[in-house]
Amino acid sequence: MRVTFPHMGNLWIIVKTLLEDLGLEVIVPPLPNRRSLDVGVRHAPEFACFPLKLNIGDFVGALDQGAEAIVMAGGIGPCRFGHYAQVEAQVLHDLGYDAEMVILEPPRGHLDGLLAKIRRLSGGKPLTRVWRAIRFGWEKLVVLDDFDRALTRARPVERLTGSAARAHRVAAARLADADGVWATRRVGGEGVREILRAAGLEESGRPGEPSRGKPFARLRVGLVGELFMVAEPFANQELERRLGEMGVEVLRPLYLSDWVRTHLIPRVFQPGRRRRASEVKRAARPYLGHFVGGEGLDSVGETILFDRQGCDGVIHVAPFTCMPEIVAASLLPEAGRDLGLPVLSLFLDEHTAEAGLTTRLEAFVDLLGRRRAVGGAREKW
Amino acid sequence: MAMAWQLRLKDGAVVGLPRALLFYELYPFWRGLLEGLGLRVAVSTATSPKLIEAGTRHAMDEACLPVKSFYGHVVVLRDRVDAVFLPRLVSLSPGTYTCPKMLGLPDMVRQNLRSLPPVIVADFDARLRRRSLEEGGESVACRLGRSRGQAREAVSRGLEALRSFRGSLEAGQSFEEAASGAAPGWKTPLEGWKTPLEGWQTPLAGGDPAPTRPGPRRLRVGLVGHAYNLFDPGVNLGLGRKLVALGCDLVTSEQLSEEEVQTESAALPKEIFWSSGRRILAAVTRFRRRELVDGFIHVVSFGCGPDSMVGEIAERETRRSSNLPYMALTIDEHTAEGGLLTRLEAFTDMLARRRARPEAPEGSVAAEVTT
Repeated sequence: MRVTFPHMGNLWIIVKTLLEDLGLEVIVPPLPNRRSLDVGVRHAPEFACFPLKLNIGDFVGALDQGAEAIVMAGGIGPCRFGHYAQVEAQVLHDLGYDAEMVILEPPRGHLDGLLAKIRRLSGGKPLTRVWRAIRFGWEKLVVLDDFDRALTRARPVERLTGSAARAHRVAAARLADADGVWATRRVGGEGVREILRAAGLEESGRPGEPSRGKPFARLRVGLVGELFMVAEPFANQELERRLGEMGVEVLRPLYLSDWVRTHLIPRVFQPGRRRRASEVKRAARPYLGHFVGGEGLDSVGETILFDRQGCDGVIHVAPFTCMPEIVAASLLPEAGRDLGLPVLSLFLDEHTAEAGLTTRLEAFVDLLGRRRAVGGAREKW
Repeated sequence: MAMAWQLRLKDGAVVGLPRALLFYELYPFWRGLLEGLGLRVAVSTATSPKLIEAGTRHAMDEACLPVKSFYGHVVVLRDRVDAVFLPRLVSLSPGTYTCPKMLGLPDMVRQNLRSLPPVIVADFDARLRRRSLEEGGESVACRLGRSRGQAREAVSRGLEALRSFRGSLEAGQSFEEAASGAAPGWKTPLEGWKTPLEGWQTPLAGGDPAPTRPGPRRLRVGLVGHAYNLFDPGVNLGLGRKLVALGCDLVTSEQLSEEEVQTESAALPKEIFWSSGRRILAAVTRFRRRELVDGFIHVVSFGCGPDSMVGEIAERETRRSSNLPYMALTIDEHTAEGGLLTRLEAFTDMLARRRARPEAPEGSVAAEVTT
């Protein structure tokens, strides 16, 4: 069975590894691009949120290349992501595609259902074999997140624009080819070193000299919001790259492994995760006292934690009409006012124009730079 | 902002109920509960353009029209009452949610609207339990420092009113009739709604529409959507009245009983996790299968997340298994009455022609028009 799955940043590296390790033939959809977006926008519901439109584009691309089944995550609400798979199945069916949709629903308290689905996908391989595949995929995921973190450190101080990103690309490609746990770890160590070296940084973490031509060196901006929009550069118009190339260090609380942790693994298995989650919840409490689905509560809580870490500002990104993030975006200006922390909420979709976004980002970063210049002014405003 | 847990309200204090969102599903319960706790209830005035404008000023742009209207209703109330009732409605039946915005609503209102009187907040969450209204109601009573006995009595009074309200709705009464019947003391009928509309919510007797007026059968439109969109003429620009004037009888998704919704919902491969979505989908399926209607109008707020998914499923299902027209009518604060009327006229004209020529070619008229 040839299977495919939707894109989200570099997640394809991990999912491909995992599924191939289970003995499946994998078709990776073309990376999201203008054309796949057009296909998605044409066939997806008009008022569906942006990630669904990109999903449809991915699926059509992969099905045209001969994929027969789609692996997709589910959910229990209230964020509409939980119903993506149902709507996508209907759209594809009406388009005349005959694809099986394998939906991995988040387990409630135990992993049995999820494991059974994965086993069925793999054609009934023994559980130990499945477990090994999962371990291997996880190993790669952790390395990939290390690469991304290294890149956010390297980009603001690189001498030659784009050199850190190039090193990151090379490292990611090598990670995709790594064929075992040990190879993965080796590639991981080397990759991180090379990304940092591309910007003249040492692994020890001593900050490099800010390079000339980067006017906003040493500004630190937290990036919060809906995970897909944070993790998929095509969807957020390469927000991280734009900021990094202005010299801004972008801090992200959420990486892909965090998404897997929250969505697919029950909290009881993760004491550390629970601690973190309750810290975020406590921080958000003065503004938002209840979970609202998706990453809404996290956006508020993480913003406040970023303020405590001394960030210069926070950028909040979400797809247009995203319900949980609308709640967050209603509260963030109030939190920002109380804390004296500039917050920029960006709701993006297929209509977002590059020039408009660039202008807003530049204006925001300019503001942060000036606030710094007047003496680290963090008074109330 | 630490919230004082207890809120002291004397007997006879006036509590404001914003006439928006789930008010249209739970008003009789709220009234029964609050009056049972010795308070007086003030309902905000009918939704008007001015009120929506006031709400829009305080809410964020991306919020949907019903949320903006809710803000407006709180603005109307804030200087006139001793406390505002702002429950957090997480879930009204097991396994469902209302909507993320409703989960965050009390926080949004408290943060975005300044100088509010004290607010009564309590969580109503039936996700894992069955007794959301009971437990929520008791926690309201507890916050107000009332005794357990009084709490229980108030809750059962509210539930009793709610049951009678739902019964009247299912029997085809308008929201105003059902609400004033179930919760006497409804003193502020909406303008233009004082007389029950003929044709509004055709009674469904045993699943079949009771025979209506003599003469040729009128067109019957299945009007589906959230109760707060169907029942608030300030939000939907008098949609119901306009359709009746155009010669249609209406059947609404609010006429389905909870059991009917559950039955339809359980038949789906994956149950919808929004309670409103379950009801909308169940109504569309049932009206279609029983051949109760000539076409569907789904009233959607611009940017509504649940409806963007549920509406799509409903519309595709309808088109696949029948040739009934299905129109998604998107409304927001910019919707103009003239444009709306034109669309309704076009839609009802089409229905009338189809009926005159019953062998209409399959699927050729499925309407897919928005805004």
